Amino acid sequence: MSTQTQSTNSEPSALVRLRDLWNAYLPYWFMTPMVLVMLLITVFPGIYDLYLSLVKYKLTDPTAIGQFNGLENFQTAFTSGGAVNSFTITILFVVGALAFETGLGFLLAALVTGVKSDRMKTFYRIAFILPMAVAPVSLATISRIMLNSEVGVIPYMITQYTPFVAPNFLSDLPLLTVILVDTWNWTPFMFIIFYAGMSSVPDTLLEAARVDGAPLWRRYVHVIIPYMKPVLFVAILIRLIDLFRTFGLVFSLTSGGPGTETELVSINIFQTGFTFVDLGAASAIAVVYLIGIVALCNILIIKIGFEGVWE
Amino acid sequence: MATTDSPKEPERRMSKTNRERLVSVGRHAALLAWSFVVLFPLYWVVSMSLKPPSEAISLPPDWIFLPTVYNYMQLLQQSSFIAAFANSVFMVSTSVILVLLIGVPAAYVLSRYDIPKQRDVLVWILSSRMLPPVAVVIPFFVIFRALNLYDTRIGMIFMYITINISVVVWVMKAFFDGIPETLEEAARVDGATQFQAFRKVILPAAKPGIFSVAIISFIFAWIELLFSLVLTNNNATTVTMQVYQFIGVRQIEWGMLAAATTATILPVVVFVIAVNKYLAAGLSFGVVVKE
Repeated sequence: MSTQTQSTNSEPSALVRLRDLWNAYLPYWFMTPMVLVMLLITVFPGIYDLYLSLVKYKLTDPTAIGQFNGLENFQTAFTSGGAVNSFTITILFVVGALAFETGLGFLLAALVTGVKSDRMKTFYRIAFILPMAVAPVSLATISRIMLNSEVGVIPYMITQYTPFVAPNFLSDLPLLTVILVDTWNWTPFMFIIFYAGMSSVPDTLLEAARVDGAPLWRRYVHVIIPYMKPVLFVAILIRLIDLFRTFGLVFSLTSGGPGTETELVSINIFQTGFTFVDLGAASAIAVVYLIGIVALCNILIIKIGFEGVWE
Repeated sequence: MATTDSPKEPERRMSKTNRERLVSVGRHAALLAWSFVVLFPLYWVVSMSLKPPSEAISLPPDWIFLPTVYNYMQLLQQSSFIAAFANSVFMVSTSVILVLLIGVPAAYVLSRYDIPKQRDVLVWILSSRMLPPVAVVIPFFVIFRALNLYDTRIGMIFMYITINISVVVWVMKAFFDGIPETLEEAARVDGATQFQAFRKVILPAAKPGIFSVAIISFIFAWIELLFSLVLTNNNATTVTMQVYQFIGVRQIEWGMLAAATTATILPVVVFVIAVNKYLAAGLSFGVVVKE
């Protein structure tokens, strides 16, 4: 691309020169804002978290703010702050919810793919994605209403119509309840991606397997799943990333309680930083969490990813 | 598809169709059961919002009742809720426009030009999604207070951009990859500059992608709670924050809580249905393109 304009004899006007500059360096103009935003939201928080984790930063003690603190914040957070406990809970939560959502999402996608009537197919497809439209905080209010041990309809129906006595979901089974509510909220995500992936399996491939007399489960194991591998990988990776980010649902449903039974790392960081206003200790946990997630996801991407997924 | 099997003895075919009918019944039973699981809570909160206060939480539930807009009238009198709703609409919409302005051109470049280490750039962009928001919000809390951006709409709009930039770039890159390059080459031959070709030929062709990614960005920003919890107080408060505050204060006024919840859900439900065909492409970061 040449920046030369074919000026006849007069100098090109400033406007024309500006326009040529715009066109000649178009990719740079197009990329720069995005790169700046990306630097601001990846590099800046990472470095600043690291800095905060190494200094005193208690909003209750403004004079000491910024004093170098060594590794004391890490010590505070991981010995007395309950951070270790919250890492265990987060792993249980993430693994549980991911398993439920992946399994259920796949099953639903497989079932809907086999529906013959187009009308019913559309109905299921649209009905099944609706939970995703519910903001986590709204879902928390709905859950509180419906699971409430005195006025909730779900415990009422369980006690009334089944031989079981309804547990008090949020105090007897808090972690499981939170996982199930998240499953309700985000199974649609898995469903919609898996469904699209299954729809793109070529009919000829399935027909060939059918003619060969392969039973249903073999068609899944040998044809559909291998074909869908990139889609499965990406859906699980993205959901995994998002599960580690979970905050709003659990925070507004249980605030991490009862006790610390549902205290995810994100809630622990929030409470350390904004309830106990110790931003230094909160950053210390955040740094560990951040490094852990980025490392895990990059290992997954490098180990399994890219082959047939991206590019 | 029942007739695609090769014709064999009539009895065998009979049993085969019977089995298929059984499978179909089982399939619909399972799917209807899940439809119930999905739709019942939505039905419940909407119906609760339309019940008079005396019936809102009565058990056994009043399945038949005279709907009333009482709860919504009550809600409309909550000026803080109305203000927060308007705030959310304004901040989220503005952030979507900005994130498209920033992300779409960059996605175009990533799709069309030879960028050094393109794959690393893409993973770097994706990595912004890996950062837990709670780890991101602490530095911005400190910096926003220093720059007087705490509790401002500009600050929140910026935070919403951070949520969505990676989705926009990834999905739009996949969309642009699917638009043949001959399209803009033809425009270039006709004398259009690179920019004109992008604006007049490529952008219109990418409209469905832009539309769906805009709505997905809207949803992700709309449902966000943490940023408004930490970075707003009053001026820039959001609708999710209002619902959150209702939980503690209004737990006795179930009907109004249900009305507020319905009001936050409804716009998004309409959006989700509107883009349901493109949702898979948007949510899978462009990996699934066709449906």
